[in-house]
Order: sequence, then structure tokens, then C-alpha cells
Amino acid sequence: MITGKALARRTFLRGIGTTIALPFLDAMTPAMAATTAKAPVRMGFVYVPNGMDVRNWNLDYEGKLGELSRIMKPLEPFKDDILVLGNLTHNNGRALLDGPGDHGRCCGAYLTGMQPRKTMVDIKAGISCDQIVANHIGNKTRFPSLELGLEDARQAGDCDSGYSCAYTNNLAWRSETQPLPPVLDPRALFERLFGNGVALSPEARALQSKYRRSILDFVTGDTKKLETNLGPTDKRKLEEYLSSVREIERQLEKAEKDNAQIDPKMPKPYGVPADFAEHFKLMTDMLTIALQADLTRVFTFLVTREGTSRAYRELGIPDGHHPLTHHQNKPELMEKVSQINTYHVKQFAGWIEKLKSIQEGDGSLFDNSMIVYGAGLTDGNKHNHEDLPTVLVGHGGNNFIKTGRRIVYRKETPMSNLFLSMMDRMDVHSENFGDSTGRLDGLDLS
Amino acid sequence: MHSAVRSLIFALSAAGLLLAANPSTAKPRIAGKTPAAAPAVFAGTAANFDSTVKPILSQTCMPCHNDRMASGGLDLAGFANIGSIGEQREGWEKILQKIRSGEMPPKGIPKPPASQVDAMSKFVQAEFEWADRNVKPDPGRVTAHRLNRNEYSNTIRDVLAVDFRAEKDFPSDDSGYGFDNIGDVLTISPVLMEKYLNAAERIAARAIGADPLPKPLEAQYHAKDKTIRRPDVSTIEATHRVEWDGEYTVRIGLPGERSADAKPVTMNFYMDGKLLQSRQVETKPSKLVYFNPYSDEELHLALPEGDHVFRAAFVNDDFVKGLSEKDAYSSKKNKYLDSITFVGPFASKTEKASRKKILICDPNSGPSCVEKIVATVARRAYRRPVTKAEVASLLKFVAMAMAEKQTTEQGIQLALQAVLVSPHFLFRIERDADANDPSKVHKISEIELASRLSYFLWSSTPDDELLGLAEAGKLRAPGVLDAQVKRMLADERAAAFASNFAGQWLETRNLDSVKPDPQKFPEWGADLRDAMKAETRMFFEWVLRENRPLSDFLDAKYTFLNDRLAKHYGIAGVAGPEFRRVELTTDQRGGILSQAAVLTVSSYPTRTSPVIRGKYVLQNILGTPPPPPPPDVPALDEKAVGSTGSLRQQLGVHRANAVCASCHNKMDVLGFGLENYDAIGRWRTMDGKFPIDASGTFPNGKSFTTPAQMSELLKGDLPEFSRCLTEKMLTYALGRGVERYDRKTLNDINAKLVADNYRFQTLLNEIVRSLPFQSRRGETPKKELAQR
Repeated sequence: MITGKALARRTFLRGIGTTIALPFLDAMTPAMAATTAKAPVRMGFVYVPNGMDVRNWNLDYEGKLGELSRIMKPLEPFKDDILVLGNLTHNNGRALLDGPGDHGRCCGAYLTGMQPRKTMVDIKAGISCDQIVANHIGNKTRFPSLELGLEDARQAGDCDSGYSCAYTNNLAWRSETQPLPPVLDPRALFERLFGNGVALSPEARALQSKYRRSILDFVTGDTKKLETNLGPTDKRKLEEYLSSVREIERQLEKAEKDNAQIDPKMPKPYGVPADFAEHFKLMTDMLTIALQADLTRVFTFLVTREGTSRAYRELGIPDGHHPLTHHQNKPELMEKVSQINTYHVKQFAGWIEKLKSIQEGDGSLFDNSMIVYGAGLTDGNKHNHEDLPTVLVGHGGNNFIKTGRRIVYRKETPMSNLFLSMMDRMDVHSENFGDSTGRLDGLDLS
Repeated sequence: MHSAVRSLIFALSAAGLLLAANPSTAKPRIAGKTPAAAPAVFAGTAANFDSTVKPILSQTCMPCHNDRMASGGLDLAGFANIGSIGEQREGWEKILQKIRSGEMPPKGIPKPPASQVDAMSKFVQAEFEWADRNVKPDPGRVTAHRLNRNEYSNTIRDVLAVDFRAEKDFPSDDSGYGFDNIGDVLTISPVLMEKYLNAAERIAARAIGADPLPKPLEAQYHAKDKTIRRPDVSTIEATHRVEWDGEYTVRIGLPGERSADAKPVTMNFYMDGKLLQSRQVETKPSKLVYFNPYSDEELHLALPEGDHVFRAAFVNDDFVKGLSEKDAYSSKKNKYLDSITFVGPFASKTEKASRKKILICDPNSGPSCVEKIVATVARRAYRRPVTKAEVASLLKFVAMAMAEKQTTEQGIQLALQAVLVSPHFLFRIERDADANDPSKVHKISEIELASRLSYFLWSSTPDDELLGLAEAGKLRAPGVLDAQVKRMLADERAAAFASNFAGQWLETRNLDSVKPDPQKFPEWGADLRDAMKAETRMFFEWVLRENRPLSDFLDAKYTFLNDRLAKHYGIAGVAGPEFRRVELTTDQRGGILSQAAVLTVSSYPTRTSPVIRGKYVLQNILGTPPPPPPPDVPALDEKAVGSTGSLRQQLGVHRANAVCASCHNKMDVLGFGLENYDAIGRWRTMDGKFPIDASGTFPNGKSFTTPAQMSELLKGDLPEFSRCLTEKMLTYALGRGVERYDRKTLNDINAKLVADNYRFQTLLNEIVRSLPFQSRRGETPKKELAQR
């Protein structure tokens, strides 16, 4: 439940910071140059599938970060800017009484903190923490949140032991029944963020906007008429439709008010690059611009799908990722898993470098962000859900998060506690979230 | 068939009497006096249960399946009474299946005599049938169904004659039960809504073409910029986005020259694999003096908006065969291809098909024509008659555009844009007499039925004939529905059924995402992949259109091949790229399990997997998907396995461990039976240094040594296969999962199939006639759902 009540002592509300100008934004959107604003805090989640080769992920010490593990090695240059969190657990990723299907379940539970319903049809998880935040602060930006991914959804066959593919295709859940599909195609993302690349005259844009609004009015009216005499499930479907219509109306309004088209200063991409690293970079480049221009403050990034069998030819690995993680402890297979895990972290590290390079006030875009990089399973061979590989990067604005450490929590500490604390930092205060038992101590050294 | 109906009627009335006498089914029941004609239909007694079923349960099963050991997670304590057969139907079905197939009891546990097992199985089966006949018919309920990407594209094609590819633009649809047309799972998000809005704008603009064309632009793809791909020395390929429908000038750059006596060569130009134009190109030196010999060919083509793969190629060009790669790209030694340039758009000289379809009168002739145009388009798009009020609200958009000093055509375009975002277009919604009363069963309207039919068989909207019949109330007239199904299957739009239903049932859609290891399988490529897809699709279409028996799927001695695939299979005498029916004369191939598409999607990138293939057969052919492995799968013992054993030896561990063996006994055997096919479906007798051993013994004791013998044995499971296929097709046809209450429908369809020698079209016809396809009911209130 969300409340506006004052918070317990160990929460974030302390000094959000002095007024900071946004030089890059000033240059880009003259309309905003007049107003100086506090640098907003951005929150994001980057998800990698199939667990990790934990032998090469885990650190054997606590406190100040020294030598990083092999998989984390690419983060070495940013050692002082990350927190490695130990023992965070998603109990709702476990079977409990639902039998097999850890891949489907862990991904559905990851940001929702709820146990997804085991079904291929009447899907149900929970509203995800990014969406709770988006619901509260999303009206401040053109897009309440962005959902990105790199891998197209699987088309046929079952996804995992009776779990709908919806649980593994999506990370963000707008409501407990409505997952938000990630955008995969760089061109689609470009057009969404920056328009279709054709520069419309202000008059043409105004007319387009006017037409769109009347069409949305028209379909809203139609839907309301249609809704009478429908059963609850059909009604729910149309409610999904209507709430999407309303969201687009809001975006249109916002865009009209801002009255500026952002120039991303990059060519419009075509198609999906065959090269994984290039695809990763292209998507995160655009995400960076979106964050920088304050088009959104919340994002989720499903690197590849839970249970994916993508083969990493780039690394000379022809085997599918998922089959490899069932490595039966064979060293040569585990080695390949480690290579894939490291490769993902390397792409992520490349993006961190970019975020750090973007000045924002006294610091960087990176400093004003907090991004979780994590896996929904611990060890892909064991399918376990405790001590999930989790790194929190960025300072969450105003040097709030005290990074450069490894914190090991009490065993079975809910991952939801971390998310609850992150929500606080986004000024969205809730008594609980998912299966949280409280807030996560120690992020800010208090 | 007549006698079957009679006995059914008898059974129903007999069962009805029993029910009347014994309202509580939980209590022991009195055995019905059953005539010899229908021995299967009676209600057993507790005494019968105790003498026929219980002894096997307690002596054979329960030593392991008890509350302490609960082997395989099953404790049979709750199954030791007759009431459990009704109450724990799923559990009992599984028990029966395991016993009949011989999987249970496992090796090492003495089997009861066959006659006792048979008696038990008959008893339980009869109980099932007794129960099913007493169930009140329930058609279930289909949720409001958002068009999925395929349906959207096809509907746009059929309503507006515009080629739009939603799969390139919209986020992918989630699937349930293995299909992506399940109403409950098709959700809508703001991202998708945004896409709908954009797509409506673009599609309406393309359909009417009332907006002025933008200035022509030039886009070049050139070898020196590395913007073209070269699949081979005679081919260049580029992915290009055509931003606007229109005429384009396309130039193919051809540097170099061959010797003075060189013959002309045929140059083909393709878009997305479809040949657009073919022409002869001179290759000998021109009379002109060049430092660098160069020529180009200019084509004038109408291109549709969207991302396309363009390919230019010299075909059957023997000249390059002897050339080294270096010489092939030397302008002194060869004439070759190096660039594609697009210039456009230019106004089209021919009227667009979409304009002809939509502008059925001259919009400038006055408001009555505009009204007619808008009403006609709305009826097609909404798949039903539209009201005056609806048309009036759409005409407001025409007026709005004209108030902005736009043309009437631009106004129609705007109205069309609104139609394409309307929930009436995007959703298929069926109405209930009382949406909140599950007992209110009613037939769906003929208009709704027309859409069910067309989205089932065409993945698209009803055409004028079908919709016309429904509007006139004639669709359910005697013989009409059957005739329509027949007509629709003969229509080329039925190809959507093969690609969407079969592509998901047989998982061959995954061919687009599988990536066989190029080191191990250098021959893997788009041509081979497409040939594999074509084979299975054409085979399926043949069985469908020729109304072949379902057994053809298991052992047909024919298939469809072109030269590429025939070479892959080692079949001689198939020349040329076009597909044709080929009789199979050896035991190596026959039926879908020997088709490369199926064999490839059920393999790892580097090797075959008997486990995946076995699971594939169980899941998609026999309808008995194995449960997933327990999460704590014990690791294989490295020392025992070593790296020198064959795959079969390594997987032997599966069957040595009793827990694994309960499933893998059958799964692995089925997979090993296909080991003669490698991971891309080629025939082989060796796997590396190990000879292939494709023999196996099913749990029922029957054994085989070749894939052909295995499919012969599988033919004995034709009833299981038929039931599996029926369930899958019913799921696809309804867009919802098969539920308990559909059991009777499945039984009835199967009875018809048996009576009709498993003819494929019988299956389709029976599904169309079935209660759940023809009817619906109100929704069960949420509270009951929660308890379920």
C-alpha cells in the first residue's frame, strides 16, 4: 500500500540536493533552459538470465571492495561506484507448492516480489516496483517508464513447465495482470523517443496531435459503450485498452506542452544488429539520451530472456546459454557459462562508462542514477533463489548511496527490501512491497 | 455410426435414470443393467472397485506410492475408493496412461497378470465415460480477443489491400498453451497502443494515398561501404527500409567485364525472397573506353513501405565457377555485382489496389458517396453491420479534416485512421445473454461465428461471402457451414492455418531462431532453412487439402522437396529450386518425424538431443508431455561417464537411476529412435567415432531397430496422436485452453474421427460443429474462480 505518511527513521528523505542546472539539457531543449531544476534521480533494473557461474561471481570478503571476481572484473574501473549485495533472496521465486518452473517463476517474481500464478493463460504476478514508481512520478516525464530488451520473444512451444511466456518475456508489470513488453528493435525505440526521424513543421505537428486526440476521444467513447453487458474478464481487457489510451493521451499532452522535439544527434537505426554488443550499445545509447533529456526516470532492461538458449558465437560458444547452465559441474561447460556472464557484465560496464561521462550539475548522470544489475536465479544448474547475484551501481543522487563495498545481509533477506528502499529514494513511500520485511539497511551507511 | 448414436442415446437415458436415482455421485451407486450392445456404459460399484482395482493399487502400486515414500510425488492413499475416480480425474487418467503404456509398474516390480490390468483399466475407463455422460454440456467462454500480429497484418491486407507487417513493428505477442492466439494472454500496453496509433496513421495514408509524396531521396548500399552482404560471388543483398509506398528507380552497379566472347547472364532482383524482375545483362567489354569498366542496370519498380531484404543475383552463372575469390572481384577478369541504389518515391502511374477497394465511388461526387465509402470500410473492419450512428460519428472526422482545409480524400483517410484504432477493429468481442451467469449457455451469433471461422482457418477477417451469409442468417442453414469450410480450405488464405497452427504445433516457427553451429554445420543457411520450412508447410497443406488420414503425419511415404533439400536428404533426381511432391522409396524418411524442420528444432546447436526429441514426441505427437525434471537434478557422475562414451552411454545414467528412469525410459527411447538424423536432419550412421544405435524397447516391451520401425510402432498409438492433435487444434480454434468440461467434445470428435478413418478434414469439420465452437456462456463469478 502506498501512503503519504512520514517515514521511519532509516529512510532516504534526507536532502535531495541543492538546485542543479542541467547543462546538457539546456543545450538540447531550449524550452527548459529557463527553468533550473534539481537533478532527478533515475532508477533502473538490468536483468540477466539463467543465473551465474557463482564460483566466479562471488566474493569471499565483506566491506571495502578490493579484488573483484572474474565475472565482475569489467566493473573494476568503477569499483568505487558499486555496491555488491549478498544474501538477497526471492522466496517467491521458489516452488513453494507450485512444482517446477524456476525460470518462469523467478523472472515473474523478480520485480514484483510476488509469486506468479502458475498458468499458461490467466496470468497474474503483481505490480512491479518500477511501475509503482512510474505511477507516482511518471507524470513528470513524457514516458513514465521505458522497457527495453535485446531478444525477440519465443514464438512457439511452452516457456517453462506450465508458466506462460508472459513471465519470461517481460520484466515490468503495470498491474498484476498486465505485463509491459520490452522494445527490442532499435528503430522502434528511436521512433518512440524521438519521432520517426521526419522533421514535421510545428503546424503539421500540431495538426497531427489534434487529430490523434480526437481519435483517442472517439475510441474512448466507443469503448465505454462497448463495456456495458460484458463479463468481468472481457471488461478487464477493455480496461487495459482504455488505460493505455489514457496513457497515450497524457503523453500527447506532455509533448504539446514541452513543444520540442529532441534531437538525439544520431542517425535513425535500421533493423536489429546481428552483433550482440552493438545491439546492447545502440539500445543503451538511446536510453542514455532519454534519461539525460528527462524523457523518463524509470527503466527496465531485460538483457535476454530467462531460460534463453541464445548461443554466443561472438565468444566462440556455439551452445545455447540455458543448456550450458545445466552443466552437470563439467568444468568446460562451466567455463563457457562464466564467459557469457562476464561478457554481459562487460557490456554493462561499457554503458556505465558512458553514463559517467555525461555531466549533470556537479556530478554525472551516473551519480544521479541507481541501477540494479542482477540475475533472477543464483546458480543456473541448481535453480536456487537465495543469495542472488546483485550489484547496485550509481549513487542515487547527491552521493546518497555509499558505494565501493560489499554488504552481506542476513540469510534470506528479501530482495523486495532492496526495492522498497529504492522506491523510497524515488520519493514513493510504501509500507511494504512484495514480500518485503522491512527496508534494506546500510545502503547509505546509516 | 447410426448404431453408435443409438447406443449413445440409450446410454444417456440410462445414465439419466441412474443419476435421478442417485443424486449424490459420491455414494456407492447401483450398477446399471447394461445391454450387451453397449457394455462400456455402466456405473461401477464400490464392491466392483474393491475386487477389480484395489488389489492392484494396494499390492503393486502402493508399496512405493504411499504417504511415506510418495515416489514421483504421488501418494495413492486418496485413490483407493471409487469416488476418487470422479474426484481425482486427472490423477486417474495419468495412472491409467502409465499402466496401459507399460511404464508402470517399473522394472523390478512384478507386473500383475495382463487380464487383471485389463479389467482394472476397463473399469476405470467405464467410470470416466459414465461420468462424462452425466456432465452438463458446457461450451466454456472465450475472452475478448485482441488481434495478434499475424491476424492484424492479414486483416489489414484483406480489408484494405495494404501490405503491412505487424511483426516488424509491434511488440511480440505472448503465447499460452503453445499458441499466440489465446485471448486471455493477448494483453495491450501503452507501447502497443502507441504502435496502433502510428500504424493506423501510416496504413490509412498508404491505403488512400491522399497526402503529397515527399521529395525523392537516394539511398545507396555499396560493397566498399560494407553496406551490402555477399552470400556468394553471384549475389548481393541489402536490408533497406522503404519509407513510402511508391515507384522507385533501382540501380544495380555492375563493375568489370569478361572476355570478348562472354555470354550474357540472367540477373534476378528479389524482395524478401520474391522475384520482382529478371533480365539479361551483357558481360563482354563494351565499346566504350573506361579506365574501370562499369555498367549499371536500372529497374523501375513499385515498392511497398516497410523493411525489406533486397537481393540482386546472377543466376546459373557458370562463368564464375572456375574463378578464385580474388579474380571474381577483379574488374579485369569478371563482371560482378557491387551496389544497389534506390531513388524515390515517385508518383505511381497505376491506381493502387487499396484505392480501388476503398473508394467505391467518386468521393468528390458528394456526401452520399463519402458516407457509402465510410460505411463499407467500417463494416469490413468491424466484421459486422454498422449502425447509422456509428457511421455518423466517423463522418465527423471527414468534416474535421475538411475544416482544416484538407481534401475529402484526406478526410476519409482520417476516418479510416479512427476505425483502425477502434476497439471494434482491434478486438473480437462476443456478446452474452447474461455475461455474469455461467448457466446461460447460448449459441453465438452467426456474425460472431463467421469471425470465429475466418480467424480459425485464415487468421483473418471474414470475406464478403462469409459475412454476407451471416448477415442474412444463412450460415447455419443445412449444409452451408460445411460448404463454407470446404471453400475456405481451398482458398489460398488457408495457408495461414498451415503456417500459424502447424508452425506452432510442430514448433517449426522456431527455425527462425535456431542457430546450428556453423563450424559443425557449415551447410546451414537461409536457403536450407527456408527449404525445411517449406517442406513441412507443404506437407501439412497437402494432408489438409487432400483430406488425408492423420496417419500420414506418422508414416507418409511422400514429401515435398526441392534440389537443396533433396541433396540434404541424399535423394537423387530432384533438380531445380521449385518444390514438388516426391515419393519416398527408402526407409530413411517417412512422416513428419523424419522431416528436417522437426529434427532441427528439436536439437541443440551442436548436437542432437534424444531427450529433447523424446520430449517433443511425447508432447506434440502422443499428447503426454513429461513433467519437467526436478530442480535438484543430480549431476552425472563424471568418472562413470568419462568423455569417451557415446551419447547413448552417457544418457544411460538416466535410466539407471530409478527416479530419472520413470520418465526417461520412454522419452530417451523415442529420442534414440531418431538418432539416425543429425542435428540438422541429415541421415547418418555414425556420430563422430561412434556408430549410431537407433534401437530401443518401449516400456510395453515392443522394440525396434530403425526409425521406420519406430514410426510403425507409433502408428499403433494413432488414437493417442489423434487426441493430441484434436486438443491442440481445439485450443487454437477457440483461442483458449482445453478444460475439463471439453472432455466430452474431445471424445465425440475422436469417435467421429475413428469412424471416418482419421480423415484430416473431419477433424476440422467436427471442431467447427462442436459445442464450444458454436456456443458460449456467461462468466463464472470471480469468487468461485479464486477457490478453484
